[in-house]
Amino acid sequence: MKTMSVKTNKKPLSAFQKRKKADNLAGYLFLLPALIAFVLFIGGPMLLSLALSFFDYNLIQPLEFVGLKNLKRFIADPQVRIAFLNTLKFLVILVPIHCILGLLLAFAVSRVRSGRMRSVYRGVIYFPTIVTTSSVAIVWVYMFGTDTGVINYFLRQLGGSNVPWLTDKNVVYLTVALFSFWKFIGTAFLYYFIGLQNIPDVYYEAARIDGAGTRQIFLRITLPLLSPTIFFVVVTNMIGVFQIFDEPFIITGGGPGTATKTMSLYIYQIAFQQMKTGYGCTLAFSIFLVILMMTLLQFGGQKKWVTYDYE
Amino acid sequence: MRQKKFEKMGKGFILHLFLVMLCVLMMLPFCWVFSTSLRLPGESFRLPPSFFPTDFYYQNYLDVFSKFPFARFMLNSILVAVTVVALNALVSTMAGYSFARIPFKGKSAMFMLFLAGMMIPSQATMIPVYIVMSRLKLVGSLWAIILPAIINPLSIFFIRQFMMTIPGSYEDAAYIDGAGRWQIYLRVILPMSKSVIVMTMLLNFIASWNNFMGPLIYLSDWNQMTLPIGLRMLQGYMGTGSIGIILAGVALSILIPTGLYLAGQKYFLQGMTLSGLKS
Repeated sequence: MKTMSVKTNKKPLSAFQKRKKADNLAGYLFLLPALIAFVLFIGGPMLLSLALSFFDYNLIQPLEFVGLKNLKRFIADPQVRIAFLNTLKFLVILVPIHCILGLLLAFAVSRVRSGRMRSVYRGVIYFPTIVTTSSVAIVWVYMFGTDTGVINYFLRQLGGSNVPWLTDKNVVYLTVALFSFWKFIGTAFLYYFIGLQNIPDVYYEAARIDGAGTRQIFLRITLPLLSPTIFFVVVTNMIGVFQIFDEPFIITGGGPGTATKTMSLYIYQIAFQQMKTGYGCTLAFSIFLVILMMTLLQFGGQKKWVTYDYE
Repeated sequence: MRQKKFEKMGKGFILHLFLVMLCVLMMLPFCWVFSTSLRLPGESFRLPPSFFPTDFYYQNYLDVFSKFPFARFMLNSILVAVTVVALNALVSTMAGYSFARIPFKGKSAMFMLFLAGMMIPSQATMIPVYIVMSRLKLVGSLWAIILPAIINPLSIFFIRQFMMTIPGSYEDAAYIDGAGRWQIYLRVILPMSKSVIVMTMLLNFIASWNNFMGPLIYLSDWNQMTLPIGLRMLQGYMGTGSIGIILAGVALSILIPTGLYLAGQKYFLQGMTLSGLKS
C-alpha cells in the first residue's frame, strides 16, 4: 500500500519536473516562426533603415557613406515641414473623430434595447471597414466631384452652391475626414461597443438605484471603466493616422498642390519614385521616432486616467 | 409615472431615428455603387442620382471580365489573402500559445519586443524590406506581398489574451495522458480558441484584401496585379467614360470580404469580446 502511494505520487512529480525543464526550449520553439518573421520584416528592417540613413543609395549603385548629409538635408528640407504639418493636421482632425464619435456611437447603440436592432446598427456601422479601401475611395471621388458629383447635386437642390470638395486646400480635409469617418469609424466603434458590453450590469443597476441620470452614468461609470479600451483606441488610432497613406494617395493625390501631402506620401515619392533610398530611410526613421515619443508619452500619462482593476 | 414612461419612449424614438438615419447615410454609397453599376454607360452620371437600380444593364459586369484581366486580379487577391491568412494563423497561434501558456526565461522581454513592434510604422520598414526582396529576386512576385504580412503583432496579442483565459486544468489533463506541448497546442488549445482565430483570420484577410502599398511598390505586371491597384488601373483606363464598368468592378471587389464577414460574424464578435483589452 505504501509503495503504491509513493509510486503514484512520484509519477506526476517527475513529469512535472520534466515539463519544467523543457519549458525554455518549448517556449522558444513555439515562438520561433514569429521571431524569425519579426526579425526579417519588422525589427531588422527597422535597424537597417537607421543604418541606411547614413548612406546614399539608389538600389542600383553601391552604398556610399555620407555621414550626416541626409540628416542635414532633412532639417533644411521645406517639404518635410509641409508633410509633417499636414500629417499633424490629419492627426488633430481624425483622432478625435474616431476616439470621441466612435465612443458616443457605441454608447448610443449599446443603449438600444432590442437585441435585433442593436446587431443591425452594429453591423451597418462596422460594414464599411471591411470593404476595399481603394475601391470605395474611387467611389468617393466620383460622389464628391465638383460639377458631376452626387453630393454637390443635392447641395444645389437644397439651395446651396457647389462645394470644391477636392480642389480647395482646406475643404479637402473635410472630405477626407468624412471619408475616414464613414470608412473607419467602425473599428473604434466596435472596440468600444465590446468594452461597454464587458462592463458588469451591477454597476449600472447600483447607479440607477442611487438615482443617477444617463449623463452621470456615462461620466462616472462608463468612462472610467472603459478607460483601458479608450487608451487602446487612442494609441492605435494615433499610430494609424500618423501613417496615413491610402486616403491622400487615392482621393487627393496629395493635392491640391501639397495640401494633403503626408509624411507617408513623401516617403513613397522620395524612396520609390525618386529612388533616393538613403534619404527615404531618414524620413522613415523620423516617423518612427515621432510615433515612439507619442506612444511613450501616452503610456506615461495613462497612470493619471486609466483604471485597470475594477473587479 | 405615465409622463416618465412617455419621456422614455420619446428618448428611445429619438435614439432609433438618429441611428436609422446614420445607417441609411452609411449605406447610401453602396446603393449608389450598385445601382450605377447596372446603368448604361451614357447614364452613368445621370442627375438627379438614383440610389436604386433603374436599369438592369448587367453588360457592365460582363465587360469587366472581358475587357480587363479582372478575373486575374481577383484570383491574385484571393491567392495572396488565403496564403497570408493561413501562414499568419500558424505563426500567431504558435506565438500566442507560447506567450499565454508556457513559462520560459525572457518571456516578458520577448512579449515587450512584440508589443513594441506594434509601434513600428510600415513606412519605417518598407524600404529595407524592399531591398531584401529585391536581393531575393522577389520584386514582381506575389510573395513580396505575402511574406511581410505573415507577422502581425496585434494578432499575436489578441490570441495570447484569449488563450490566457483557458483554464489550465484542460492542459494538465492532456499532459497526464501523455500529450506533449505540440499535441496540447494542436488538440486542446487550438480547438478551444476557434473564435479568436477566426477573428484574427478575418482581420488579416481584410487587411490583405485592402493592401494598397504592397502591390503599389512591388507589382507592375497586369497579370500579377491584385484588386486594389487593378481597380485603380481600371479607373485610369475608363476615365470619365463609363463609370458603370468601374463600379461593377468595385461591387465585385466588395463581395468576397462581405460574404466572409457575414459567415464568420458570430465567431468574430465572440473572439473580440473574449480576447478583451483588459490586463
